[in-house]
Amino acid sequence: MSDLRDAALAPAAAWRDVAGPAHVDFRAVFDAIPSPYMVLDRELRYVAANPAYQGVTMRSLDELLGGKIFDLFPNEGESGWRLRQSFQRVLETGAADTIAYLPYAIPRPDERGGGLEQRYWTAVHTPLLDERGEVAFIVQNTVDVTEIARLRRATSLPFRMVHGESDLLQRAREAERAKEQLLDEADDFRRLFQQAPGMIAVLSGPEHVYTFVNDACRRFVGGRDIIGLRVREAFPETDGQALFDLLDQVYRTGSPRSGEAIRVVMPEQAPAEPLQEAFIDFSFAPIFGPDGEVTGIFAQGTDRTDGVRAQERQQLLLDELNHRVKNTLATVQSIATQTLRGQADPEAARAVFVARIVALSQAHNLLSRSNWAGAELRDLLVQELTPYGPERFRLSGPVVRVPPRAALALGMVFHELATNAAKHGALTSERGRVEVGWGLRDAEGCRWLSLSWRERDGPGVAPPGRPGFGTRLIRMSLEGELGGSTDLRFEPEGLTLAVSIPLPPGWR
Amino acid sequence: MSGAADGGPDLAGLDVLAVEDETLVAMLLEHMLTALGCNVVGPVLRLARAEEIVDSGQPLDAAVLDVNIGGERIFGVAERLLERGVPLVFATGYGADVLPEMYRACGILPKPYQQEDVERALKAALRARDRTG
Repeated sequence: MSDLRDAALAPAAAWRDVAGPAHVDFRAVFDAIPSPYMVLDRELRYVAANPAYQGVTMRSLDELLGGKIFDLFPNEGESGWRLRQSFQRVLETGAADTIAYLPYAIPRPDERGGGLEQRYWTAVHTPLLDERGEVAFIVQNTVDVTEIARLRRATSLPFRMVHGESDLLQRAREAERAKEQLLDEADDFRRLFQQAPGMIAVLSGPEHVYTFVNDACRRFVGGRDIIGLRVREAFPETDGQALFDLLDQVYRTGSPRSGEAIRVVMPEQAPAEPLQEAFIDFSFAPIFGPDGEVTGIFAQGTDRTDGVRAQERQQLLLDELNHRVKNTLATVQSIATQTLRGQADPEAARAVFVARIVALSQAHNLLSRSNWAGAELRDLLVQELTPYGPERFRLSGPVVRVPPRAALALGMVFHELATNAAKHGALTSERGRVEVGWGLRDAEGCRWLSLSWRERDGPGVAPPGRPGFGTRLIRMSLEGELGGSTDLRFEPEGLTLAVSIPLPPGWR
Repeated sequence: MSGAADGGPDLAGLDVLAVEDETLVAMLLEHMLTALGCNVVGPVLRLARAEEIVDSGQPLDAAVLDVNIGGERIFGVAERLLERGVPLVFATGYGADVLPEMYRACGILPKPYQQEDVERALKAALRARDRTG
């Protein structure tokens, strides 16, 4: 081992020989490199250090040369241990070793106020071998990344991608590949962002180039690799300017911007597949460089597509509700018009009108109880006949559920029949009663409900002079609306009505 | 009752197809059209029946069509009537924007409607037909 001071000076001469005819002064190169470099011997004593290194460590060459690194910059903590381990690996293996990220405080010279100054470093340790192939020196290239580390904290960014720093990233990747298992702060950040449930991307430059996308973002774009693509390239079919305008504004003004439910068209996965659209809530924050200029955009996105779709469905439901309300009002208007028309006695007309509205309302009640899935035929009958006493009617038939339209129609028909029976028919006499029977049958490729309403032991009835409201309602609703058939007769025994209506295909 | 209060074509004696799937509303429409002096074709409450009438080629002077018939749209029937030059009035509980572009010139009858509304819409539809030839 040569004298330390000689060793510090000797390499320049040796290198000059190797350099040959170009006569490059490698000593001068060493000194001129803006990146900090230093050389340690096997005992970890300084044998060389370029001015850049002297600058970042706030030490002169005289202070450094001959001194042991851990005497000059003691660190009994984890960082000191990691640095020692790295040197040890180089000495043992003869291979280069990288520390991507190393918090390491250095003593501040007294003239600068003394004390310790927390710094963050990245370092590559490269072995210099002697003639026998053994490690004689370790060359360290270190970069003070304190500013980046602070910026990272300030902006909560996983990392930045601007000129001059991409080599740091390269080192970070090397470090990840290395066996170093230590969880380092940058990795934590990166993992946090990588696995965050929301979409996160970092865009660089005025063209908004993707430099980072997290897992959620990558899933959203169908696993495509969009790193290095401009946003316009990544989503070429998104014609709406909203997204691009927002990004341009953030980059131009340096102010954050957000946009709700912005439509984004996904690129075609395959030519045959239809374009897929999504609606995203975006939040864009500018990323500033050291000089205060905007260098990129930190983008967060939340997929709101399901919400937007739900809103559309809700609008459809509201439209439908509006439609139904209007129809119901028209129905009530019709009942009013036809009940009150030509009625001499306003009080009687009012009672009939209210009873009809109540009948309609009761049929609605039965349906809403089943969530408009249908109503029990028996329930519809009981509702209308119960007021006259259970002994006045007899119901016989299987359990049959009828669809909503049929339920409303039958509810009104039963109301008209019952009130007619109470006014003119079987229910006017003490002994009179109503028998209703029904059943199901399959015919003409469809299931039919057959029902008979038969009044017994009442006064003889005669057909009305001209068809009244009830008669017209029976024909129009059961034949016209439901597509069934009716047979209404005024027998000496009392009124009878035979009804047959088809149930919808698949109705059970 | 059928009085040409606001002038325009007389509705008396016209064969008017009425399509409306709600029995009670159909009964009211039938009553109004009858009061206006029209011969009501229908009322028709199901789409299949409306198609049968159009298929039969029965002469029609106008039609009042509910847009939503048993959950289906009336536009298939409307298109064929329009081809035949039958003036159309659309009754709907939805807004006018439910109508496809080709029917925007037709009469629109928002529910609930009164007899005067039916009269006005029918006359407007007849006048529009006469203008276009």
